[in-house]
Amino acid sequence: MTTATTALPTPRALAGGGLTAVRRNPLLMVLALMVLVFQLTTGSFLDAGNLRGIATDAATLAIVAVPLALLVISGYLDLSVGSTLALGGLVAGWLAGQQHQSPVVAVLGALAAGAAVGAVNGVLCCYLGLSAFIVTLGMLTAVRGLAQQLFPLPLSSFGSGFAWLGGSRIAGIDAPVFIAALVLLAGALFLALTPAGRHVFAIGVNREAAYLSGVNIRRTPFALFVVTGVAAALAGAIKASVLDSVVAGTSGAGFELTVLTAVLLGGVALTGGSGSVFGVLLGVLFLGCLQNGLTLLNVPTFWQQMAQGSALVAGAALAYFGPRLTR
Amino acid sequence: MTRFPQAVPSASRRQFLAWSGGTAAATALALAGCSAPDAGATSAKATGTAAGSSKTLTRIGFDYPFTQLPLYSTLVKLSTAAAKQHDISLLTTSDAGNADTQATNLNTWVSQKVPAIVSFPMVFEATEAIAKRALDAGLIWVTYGGSLEHQSADIQFSFLEGGTLLGEAAAQWADEQLGGKGKVAFLTDSTIQLGRERTKGMIDAFTKNAPGVDVVAQEQAIDPDTGLSKSRAVLAKHPDLNIILGITDAAAYGGFKALQQAGRKATDARTFVGGQDGSAPSLLAIKQGTFYRASAALAPEDIAAAVVEVPRAVAAGKANPSAQVPITLVQRGDTARIDALLAQNS
Repeated sequence: MTTATTALPTPRALAGGGLTAVRRNPLLMVLALMVLVFQLTTGSFLDAGNLRGIATDAATLAIVAVPLALLVISGYLDLSVGSTLALGGLVAGWLAGQQHQSPVVAVLGALAAGAAVGAVNGVLCCYLGLSAFIVTLGMLTAVRGLAQQLFPLPLSSFGSGFAWLGGSRIAGIDAPVFIAALVLLAGALFLALTPAGRHVFAIGVNREAAYLSGVNIRRTPFALFVVTGVAAALAGAIKASVLDSVVAGTSGAGFELTVLTAVLLGGVALTGGSGSVFGVLLGVLFLGCLQNGLTLLNVPTFWQQMAQGSALVAGAALAYFGPRLTR
Repeated sequence: MTRFPQAVPSASRRQFLAWSGGTAAATALALAGCSAPDAGATSAKATGTAAGSSKTLTRIGFDYPFTQLPLYSTLVKLSTAAAKQHDISLLTTSDAGNADTQATNLNTWVSQKVPAIVSFPMVFEATEAIAKRALDAGLIWVTYGGSLEHQSADIQFSFLEGGTLLGEAAAQWADEQLGGKGKVAFLTDSTIQLGRERTKGMIDAFTKNAPGVDVVAQEQAIDPDTGLSKSRAVLAKHPDLNIILGITDAAAYGGFKALQQAGRKATDARTFVGGQDGSAPSLLAIKQGTFYRASAALAPEDIAAAVVEVPRAVAAGKANPSAQVPITLVQRGDTARIDALLAQNS
């Protein structure tokens, strides 16, 4: 019987596993170093209140980054998530605030809007074979235009019921963070334990070989497009709830690049076929901690931009060269 | 032979592309038909700088680059209505906050000889040459939000003054409520001229009038998301922060929410949040008596009127056709003013 030994790993095995994790995810080391530097220089970086703020800010990013990472692993891309986020927030805010619908209906409305955008992306990219880059770039602009046309003025005052989504606590954890944790867990389990999860890698590595192996190379990426749209809309609804307001023109502007940066920093290959949810989590935390730490240090704006850019390049370089150097 | 289905069978894809192309072409033709220039408009030539030569305008091009802002929709709606009263059709650009796109759109209007152009330059220096070409072509050029060397007239706002009004009000409040002590964070913008002017007015006025208040942060933020996350970080380090001033109401509103989420009561007597623009969520928060206490607001109706009347005045050859749109500070108690602004924004 080997159950006992697998259930209780020895300290040596644990240490070895930790080293393996660092080797596979060099960003982990960079993140730890960054946290240490920020704590030593600001003295308040690791305060519970600040960590809570970082987690809440990073939650919406993680919610979208996980399905987007799966999409990228399967060899596709979705650049329309920023506009889908805005549309989701607006639909939810409109239903909750102006139509006085229950928060559940408001969120479901947002998810439906996100699913619709994702389905359009999925049909065009997976079934008609159009370039995901071009299609989702076009949708980024088209959905933003649609959102501004439908909701030209800011929406606000969504009521206390809808505020639950962004402001309540579940088991002592902020609701957005709790939702993000569920999404991360679901993504990790999907990739590791389900046949469809393995199909994602297979399609990303070689679509033709996957097809010849009997994998449905259209259905899985299509579903991922829909899930990514739904996740973006959910993130939009959460942001609308947190801010109790949404503006069609600015909500989620540039979000697509931030989330893609988190995904790529997390070690997901833009060419598809490799990546992990744990890596994505590191990418999300890296961006969240960097932004927060620079603000705590009161670094002037343009220096912040330079520091952010440099840190991203350094993080990406380490993620690329790290595994090769430690082999 | 096994066929690898990269997509649907090629015939279907061809059909799809053919239908798509046909639909796009038909849509483009329909849109072109809708926006075809009328004969009267093309014949209406205005000599922008020649006072005394009266011309009738049939078209005005209004170039407001920040199409992502809610104010854009309001201004287009109100300006279109104001223009319609004089049988003028209002053209608009879609610059999406991009200076290069703005230059392209303005050049197109100049080459199409749109008789009057009202433009809010994102980069004033870069727009100078386009304005000169417009004047050389006999068009009216009205600069919005500043002045150019080559122009027929301008519509001024004094963004500096808006920032100054807010900074002075916050400083006075700090003096009265905090005894001149406390902590302030500024949400600023240094990327465009408008932002720099507002930022300078706000910070200079506040620090001059409340020298005892510690400036604990100056962070770039113009939208509520950024305002929220930056304010959260500042609050983690300075939980006793008293004042957040924003160069936009949107950013300040993010700060307002961050303070509330940090446990500050919405009516806290020792907290002050203020912004600029007069946007609806902020005006509502002021009206409700929260610690969102002030906004340096522009009235959209005043701007819309100027967008139409200034080029008309130039075309009519009137002397001193330029306009100064007032910025007023809206605070708790200015209920009638708030209601009027909310009605204009509705």
